[in-house]
Amino acid sequence: MGWGEITSLQLDAVREVGNIGTGNAATALSQMTGRTVDIGVPEAKIIPIYEISEHYGSPEDLVCAVLIRTEGDLPCNFIFLIREEDSRSLADLLIPMDLSSMDEDMQAQMRESALGEVGNVVLGAFLNAISMLTGYVLPASVPSVAHDMLGAIMDVVASIFGVLGDAALLVKTSLRVKDMEHEVGGSVIMVPDPGALESLLQRLGV
Amino acid sequence: MADTIHVGMADLVAIKKTGILVTLGLGSCIGLVLFDQEKKIAGMAHIMLPDSRESASVVKPGKFADTAVPKLLDEMKALGAGKAGLKAKLAGGAQMFNIPGKSSSFLAVGARNAEATKEWLKKFGIPVVAEDTGGNKGRSVEFNMLTLMLTVKTLGMGTKEI
Repeated sequence: MGWGEITSLQLDAVREVGNIGTGNAATALSQMTGRTVDIGVPEAKIIPIYEISEHYGSPEDLVCAVLIRTEGDLPCNFIFLIREEDSRSLADLLIPMDLSSMDEDMQAQMRESALGEVGNVVLGAFLNAISMLTGYVLPASVPSVAHDMLGAIMDVVASIFGVLGDAALLVKTSLRVKDMEHEVGGSVIMVPDPGALESLLQRLGV
Repeated sequence: MADTIHVGMADLVAIKKTGILVTLGLGSCIGLVLFDQEKKIAGMAHIMLPDSRESASVVKPGKFADTAVPKLLDEMKALGAGKAGLKAKLAGGAQMFNIPGKSSSFLAVGARNAEATKEWLKKFGIPVVAEDTGGNKGRSVEFNMLTLMLTVKTLGMGTKEI
């Protein structure tokens, strides 16, 4: 089954998964940062794979992305995407010490580790929502953090959807961390492996 | 100033005499350039996946290595390129994420893209004269018809000409 064949009822169900997942993720992020986290209304739509990155910005925008993979009942990839400058403020918020006395390599390592943990917590909460909705057990991998151009990151998403056809399911969620000097925004992107869609929809009963 | 043409994901474009072919933010995808120096014809393809046989349908030939190479050749021949003088340059095929202990074929698709592209070039007897593939960083590439150089920009690693 390709994403292009999904019905509007099924799309609604997936949107609801995104909604509940993002709600959970926002609560987790709020607990972690001690800040208010707002969520936007999630969108779920089918778009051509060639347009995925346009929904998040320009191809050369600098972003930070944390990816985790689930295996087992639902082989799927989850990405937490934030702008590069936001990733820095978020990391600094979570590291309870002044980094300026450390050398740059050490600072980068500390931030990397903090961001991996943010991704882990946010995506873990998103996964928990799916587990609750489906009864699936979703063992998650360790997080992988990348800092790069948006287009390059989105190649991962496009190539996974691209195996099945030319349509991608875009579940666009947004999280905003308030009460910071600069408001920090992020999104969770869900990319099921080919074939995982059927099992998810079946479990959701649509 | 020569015209700049952006080659989008799964697209391919052939040009004659002047022009600059650009692809921004390549991750696991491949930016493939073929050129005929004598006749001043060049083409660029933005390849996403190694093999069309793993997919249900082929809407855009530029999407797969096995369909992009012959299609780009056709487009260039239509502009008058001869097969004998053709050369190739390519960049991209990075692995953006690495999860220790997990060998997901999707995360490693970049390496398979580079391999498949070179395999098809070999089948058509087109020599690869420059290459910047692999690694774990994204690239933006720009091919200038006049200089026949491929400029590769990598985040944190600067710009090089190949």
